Amino acid sequence: MKGFRTWHGLLLMGLFGLFFLFYQGLWGDPTALPTVIIAEPAPEIIAPSLYGEKQMVLSEHRGKVVVLNFWASWCQECKLEHKFLLAIQKRFEDNPNFVMYGVNYQDKDNLAKAYLDQHGNNFEHIVDLKGKISIDYGVYGVPETFVIDQEGVIRHKIIGPVLGDTFSDLVQNKIEPLLNQSAPLS
Amino acid sequence: MNLRSLLILLFVMTSSFLGVSSLFAQTEPLPPALSMDEDLLQQKTKEISRTLRCAVCQSESIWESNATLAIQMRDIIRERLIAGENADEIRAYFVSRYGDYIVFKPRFRGINMLLWGGPFILLLIGGIFLSRALRRWTTQKVEDAPEPLAPIDEKQRERIEAELRSFK
Repeated sequence: MKGFRTWHGLLLMGLFGLFFLFYQGLWGDPTALPTVIIAEPAPEIIAPSLYGEKQMVLSEHRGKVVVLNFWASWCQECKLEHKFLLAIQKRFEDNPNFVMYGVNYQDKDNLAKAYLDQHGNNFEHIVDLKGKISIDYGVYGVPETFVIDQEGVIRHKIIGPVLGDTFSDLVQNKIEPLLNQSAPLS
Repeated sequence: MNLRSLLILLFVMTSSFLGVSSLFAQTEPLPPALSMDEDLLQQKTKEISRTLRCAVCQSESIWESNATLAIQMRDIIRERLIAGENADEIRAYFVSRYGDYIVFKPRFRGINMLLWGGPFILLLIGGIFLSRALRRWTTQKVEDAPEPLAPIDEKQRERIEAELRSFK
């Protein structure tokens, strides 16, 4: 094309790049949150059980797939996902290489216990006393769910409730492949 | 007990006390917190908190926010300062957990370099574009200017003047 030079092309590319950035900024998902902790070693957790029986030490579960679910009794979305969490525990409870913990977040012990009494409970829960566990895991709010592999590496993070397709995806595409040692990161 | 025995006993007791004290001093060094003034600690916590975004708020730093998460983050900053970490180490900790999103001032690396250098690159591209355009416009003026008229001879001049006189 006559008169079309390299710098014209660069200018067009620059303008296209700017347009793309504006598009991302204006029509991108404003609720999308960055996740940087995937594929990183899971921070150590030493926390008391909600029922005060014993202390949970995450590193003692090395060799197992660990599911951590951050929840609170005041969280409405947690109520929606609770029966799905119970279903996950029920599905894998016989597998010695699986363990699931609830991490009670910014809550009161009596309210958390009342919540579990009301909605049912079949897995263990620990208390995040000063928010240290939540911040160590880069938690923005509840519910959030993490899947940690046998090597103690965080493989998946789910922001929001685990229900419907998210539940199926978590069970079939995340936990089961990890237990079978054939899982990709997400 | 005579005076000499008393002096020896006193010497042995003092030596033992100093020895035990120095032993404790070696095994239990004072943590940095004990040497940090509370006002200074508060000031440092404030300085670092103001550079970190509250993860659950809209455009608020964790210093300005009263959200529980922000308060807990401030407590962690304080604890880490007490443990002897500096501001960069504390910020790096939060970035490792929440990504660059957590800092108000993005770090100069990776895709962030586009944020820092982008305006200057655009300014440079704009400058090149403008200078080229200006050069073209000025060149065009010279090229498009009418050719200077050839001087007319005496015969033509007389003819023109005669025609002009005929209009009067």
